[in-house]
Amino acid sequence: MGNYYVALFARRAVGFLMVLFVLSLMIFVLARIVPGDPARMALGPSATQAQVDQLRQRMGLDEPLITQYVSYVSHAVTGDLGRSIVSDREVSADIATFLPATLELVIVTIVIIFAVAVPLGVLTARYRNSWIDNSGRFFSLIGVTIPSFLFAVTLQILAADHFPSWPTLGRVDFQLGAPAGPTGFLLVDSLLAGRPDVFLSALQHLAFPALSLAMAGIGQITRITRSAMIDHQRRDHVLTLKSFGVPDRVIVFRYLLKLSSIAPLTIMGLEFASLIGNAFVVEMVFSWGGFASYGLDAILQKDLNAVMAVVLVSGIFFIAANLVIDLIISILDPRLRFKEAR
Amino acid sequence: MQDATRLSAGYMTWYRFSRNPAAVIGALIVLSVIVMAIFAPLIARFPEHVGAVVDFRNRHMPPDVDNWFGTDKAGRDIFSRTVFGFRVSLLLVIGVLGVAVPIGSALGMIAGYAGGLTERLLTGFTDIMLAIPPLVMALAIGNVLEPNLVNAMLAITLLWWTWHARLVYRVTKSIAAEDYIEAARLAGASHLHILAKEILPNCISVISVKTTLDAAFVILFGATLSFLGLGVKPPTPDLGSMVADGRQFLPEKWWEVLAPGFAIFYATLGFNLLGDGLRDMFDVEA
Repeated sequence: MGNYYVALFARRAVGFLMVLFVLSLMIFVLARIVPGDPARMALGPSATQAQVDQLRQRMGLDEPLITQYVSYVSHAVTGDLGRSIVSDREVSADIATFLPATLELVIVTIVIIFAVAVPLGVLTARYRNSWIDNSGRFFSLIGVTIPSFLFAVTLQILAADHFPSWPTLGRVDFQLGAPAGPTGFLLVDSLLAGRPDVFLSALQHLAFPALSLAMAGIGQITRITRSAMIDHQRRDHVLTLKSFGVPDRVIVFRYLLKLSSIAPLTIMGLEFASLIGNAFVVEMVFSWGGFASYGLDAILQKDLNAVMAVVLVSGIFFIAANLVIDLIISILDPRLRFKEAR
Repeated sequence: MQDATRLSAGYMTWYRFSRNPAAVIGALIVLSVIVMAIFAPLIARFPEHVGAVVDFRNRHMPPDVDNWFGTDKAGRDIFSRTVFGFRVSLLLVIGVLGVAVPIGSALGMIAGYAGGLTERLLTGFTDIMLAIPPLVMALAIGNVLEPNLVNAMLAITLLWWTWHARLVYRVTKSIAAEDYIEAARLAGASHLHILAKEILPNCISVISVKTTLDAAFVILFGATLSFLGLGVKPPTPDLGSMVADGRQFLPEKWWEVLAPGFAIFYATLGFNLLGDGLRDMFDVEA
C-alpha cells in the first residue's frame, strides 16, 4: 500500500511538471503575441524612446526569445514571477498576500457544495420520482442554469433590502481590527488570536459570496450523486445486501454512499477550474479583495507579468486540487490500489 | 424488412422523446430562442435601440405597454435589446462549438483508435489543456489581444475542445476492440473508412448530447465574460453586459437586470432540458 502512494506521487509529479512546462510555454507565447510593446504600454505614450529602451532592457525584452523563456522559467522556479509593470511590486509577494482570501472562500464553498449536494443527491435517489426527487432536481437545474454573477447580484440586493445590517462587501468588519496573519485565513487567524467577534464577522461576510459560488457546484454534484446512487442501487452486491435483510439506512450510509462518492469527487476536481473562474466574478461583486480580484485588475490593466502569474497559479491550483481528490478516491476505492499493486 | 425495423427504431426514439415533457419544453425553448435571434429585427419593438441611441426623456422607465421590460440608462427599450442579445449568445455558441466539437471529436477518435504513442501524446495534451481554467484563459487572451466577440470565441474554443476529446476518446476506446471493427479491417477497409463509417456513428449520440449541454455552458460563459466587461463592445447588446449595466441602478430599477438575467436563465434552461432529454432518449452517458 505504501508503494502505491509512492508510485501515485511519482506519476503525478511527472504529470505535474509536464503540465507546468506546457502551461508556462503557453503563457510565454501568449505574452509575446501581445500587439504593441509591453514596455511602451507600461510607460504610456508620454515616455521618451530612451526610457522605453531602458525598460525593455531591464525586462529583458531585447534578448532572443529562447533566452527570455529560460530566464522566465528559472526565475519562476525560485518563486520569482517578475515585477508588476503597473505598480513595480513583486508579483509573487502580491499573490501571496491575496491568495489566502480566495483559498478561504473556495474551501468554504466546497464545504457548502458537499454539505448540500450529497444529502440532496442521496435523498433524490432514495425517493426517486417522488416530489422530493422532482424538487431536488429542479433545484439543481436552477444551480446549473443561472450564472454565479446573477446569484451574487441578487443575493446582494436582497440582503440590502431585507437585512440592512448584514455585510455584503469585503471580508471582515474593518472596525474590529482583524489580526493580520499568520495564515491569512481570517477564520483561522481570528481563532488563533482568540477573537470570536472577528471570526463571526468573517463568517457573516463569507456567507453570500460562498453561497453564490457554490450554486453551480451544488447543481452538478447533486445530479452526479443521484445518478451514481441509482446506478449502484441496481448492482448485485447491493441486491445481495437487501436480500440478506440489511436495513436500508445501513446500505445507504455504509455501502452506497462510499461507492457513489467517487463520481462526484472526480467531477468536483474538473469543476474546480470553473470554480476558480467564477471566483473572478463573485469576488468582483462582493469586493472580496482576493487572488481573483487581483487577477481581474491585472488583466484589465494589461499588467503582463501579473497576468502570466495569475494564469500559472490558477493552473497549479487546479492540479493540486485534483491530486488531493485522487488521493481521497484511492482511499475510498481499494480496487484502485490493488489494481496498481498487481 | 430492414427499413421497417429502422423506421420503428426511429419512431421509438421519437416516442421516448415526445413522452418526456421536460425535453419537449426544452426543445420549444431552444426553438424560441433561435427564432428570436434570427428574426430579432422583426420581433424587437425598437430595433434602432440596438445601436448608440440616447433618449434621455425616457431613461429608467419601468415596464409599460410600449417598453415591456422598461428602458435602460440611455432610454433604450430593454425588450428589444434582450432579443438582440440572444443573437450574440447564439453566435458565440455557433462559433465556439462549430470549431471545438469537430476538432475535439476528431482528436478523441484518433487517440482512441490509433493507440500507442499517438494515444499517449493526445490524451496527455488534452489533460494538460484541461488544467487551465477556461475563464481565466479567456480573460487573459481576450484582454491581451482586444476584448471583442471574435477573441472571446477564440479563447473559449482554444480550451473547449478538450471536453469533447475526452468524451469521444472514451467511447472510441470502448468500441475499438469490437468484432465488427476487426471485421471491417479484415475486409480491407481503410483507417479513414473505419473512423468515419464504423466509429463515428457510434459517437454521434454522445456528441449531440454533450454539444447541447455545452451550448448552455457557452452562453453562461459568454455572459460572464461580458459581465466583467470583456465581451462584446457597447453599444451592441449582450445579456451579460446588460446585467452589469443595470446592476448600478439596483434595487430601484430592478427591471434593468431582471430582463437580461431572465433571458440568460431561459436560454440555458432550454439547452439543459433538451440535453437531458436527448441523454435519456439515446440512453448515453455524456
